[in-house]
Amino acid sequence: MRNEMGSFVAADNTKCTGCKACEMACFAVHNQGNHVGNTVGTVELPITARLYVTRAEELCMPVQCRHCDNSPCLNSCTAGAIRREEEKIIIDEDKCIGCKNCMMACPFGAIELVPVYRAGKEVLLPGSTEVRKTASKCDLCVKRGIPACVNACPNQALSLVTPEAELADKRIQAALALALTNQA
Amino acid sequence: MTVIAIDKELCTGCQECTKVCPAYAIEGEPGQPQTINTDRCVMCGQCVQKCKAYLSVWEHGKEAYEAKKRERGLPQSVREPLFAAYNVCHLNELKDALADPEKYTVVQAAPAVRVGIAEDFGMELGTLAPGKLAAALRRLGFDKVYDANFAADLTIMEEGTELVQRVKDGGVLPMFTSCCPAWVTFMERNYPEISDHLSSCKSPQQMGGAVFKSYGAHLDDVDGSRVYSVAVMPCTCKEFECNRVEMRDSGWKDVDVAITTRELAYLLKEKGIDFNSLPEEEFDMPLGDYTGAGAIFGVTGGVMEAAIRTGYELITGEAIPDVKVEAVRGTEGFRTANVKVGDLTLKVGIVTGLKNVIPVIEDMKAGRLDLHFIEVMTCPEGCVSGGGQPKLLMDTLVPEAYGKRRAGLFAHDEALPLRKSHDNPAIKKIYEEFLEKPNGNIAHHLLHTKYCGD
Repeated sequence: MRNEMGSFVAADNTKCTGCKACEMACFAVHNQGNHVGNTVGTVELPITARLYVTRAEELCMPVQCRHCDNSPCLNSCTAGAIRREEEKIIIDEDKCIGCKNCMMACPFGAIELVPVYRAGKEVLLPGSTEVRKTASKCDLCVKRGIPACVNACPNQALSLVTPEAELADKRIQAALALALTNQA
Repeated sequence: MTVIAIDKELCTGCQECTKVCPAYAIEGEPGQPQTINTDRCVMCGQCVQKCKAYLSVWEHGKEAYEAKKRERGLPQSVREPLFAAYNVCHLNELKDALADPEKYTVVQAAPAVRVGIAEDFGMELGTLAPGKLAAALRRLGFDKVYDANFAADLTIMEEGTELVQRVKDGGVLPMFTSCCPAWVTFMERNYPEISDHLSSCKSPQQMGGAVFKSYGAHLDDVDGSRVYSVAVMPCTCKEFECNRVEMRDSGWKDVDVAITTRELAYLLKEKGIDFNSLPEEEFDMPLGDYTGAGAIFGVTGGVMEAAIRTGYELITGEAIPDVKVEAVRGTEGFRTANVKVGDLTLKVGIVTGLKNVIPVIEDMKAGRLDLHFIEVMTCPEGCVSGGGQPKLLMDTLVPEAYGKRRAGLFAHDEALPLRKSHDNPAIKKIYEEFLEKPNGNIAHHLLHTKYCGD
């Protein structure tokens, strides 16, 4: 059996300037169903991104879901709203009950509880004036190929990490380095 | 007056704006809020377009969002995100004027507005919508919906004539265009010694304003003092330009307020006007009549192309063989072309992106530049990419957006029955009835100015 690991988006804090272009791109591509078009003027709902540009002392970088292989969020979900799909951890917003178990379980703070919007309007709970909420996190732009945040970064600080490829690369480098010492 | 500002509470200090600022006007330490050095800022608004540091309703609260809207002069109905870099909104003055029955409100919209405005209503990038634009302005209650494209044709008559005179009479060359107020400001501050190279022509916006309050008021049988003149522009610097002391030759402030394409979208949404479902309407005649030459003012190289179409005929007495002057099109930051005009080889240069003008000026001062006429636009691809245009959510869309907005204006030019400014019947009429001749006395008083004045 192949040991397949989940890919994830990782940031390089030496390149990140904290501009939030990644957050804006994330919001834009996930809200096309809310009438968000190409321009700021088409936006009629608050910005919610699925990654968080975070400042800590002197550094800044976005923090986002690692699509953990042991996925504590999935394990903690009592509503069956989180699933694994081709090594991606995906939240079903229709099934989410807003219990925040996953939020608490995630060691990265990568899950946020946000109001649900459909067709640009807040969705209310049945028979209530309260806004329905859902857990929300990075879905690796599952329908889009390269994640929007990776494309949007003006400083190439974000990359889609594929752990197997990353490891294979590192081992080749290690082997080449070792070969040099053996020759000497 | 403050035109462009950076909100200290929102700025993350990422300094992405400093990379696009052509005037090195943004100052501060990385990671700390930046400030604008107003002595350097040319108010082009490229930082406004770039900034992604938004106010988060979750983090800062709804109250903070509402307070910022008030502080920036934005309508209550605005729901879009607010960013650290912004331009001060002047819609309140415009709304007061529209509500005042004593005022006779006249509006003009720049070429680039008609390929921008629909984007803020969810239409495709670069959608060409002159008919809906005219209808939208009429629904807002303007008494006359005139057009900056007419004024662009007028600018070509004046600027083309000025160029031909300079070439024939051995005047100061190269002559630089003066349509772009950010470029004019940059030259005044940094290179006042070359000010005699600048065309004495006012920009289309200011020519339009001066004509609306004089000839236009006469045509409409109203006193010029009652006319309130509004410009809708892709540009944040136009509000600065209309407040310049030189711009009062009609006897009043020629343009009372300039708003941006984005601000027009705010106003339409506040009034509940659904842009996309508006019918196609015409601009009001005669000062809303225009040719393809006026329409291409919104793209880099467009003023040059329009000037060549008319200049050719002024010099040779014959129509230009091909109105499409391919040699001056393109988007490179500085490009040159030789255009055969009868016996004369007209040597022209086009600068787009203000930073690119510095080596050109230095070459000129060192005697290394052999050109007759140079167009300069501050923004990356001309006015279609102006600081007041609809702001893209993702910069990855920039090439597509600018390309489609440019293509939209070129398509507009091609589809119009008349494509040379001097063929515009309203232009012929205004010279016959009022201005007498290009660069004549009345034209000189109303349509020209001296920049870098004392």
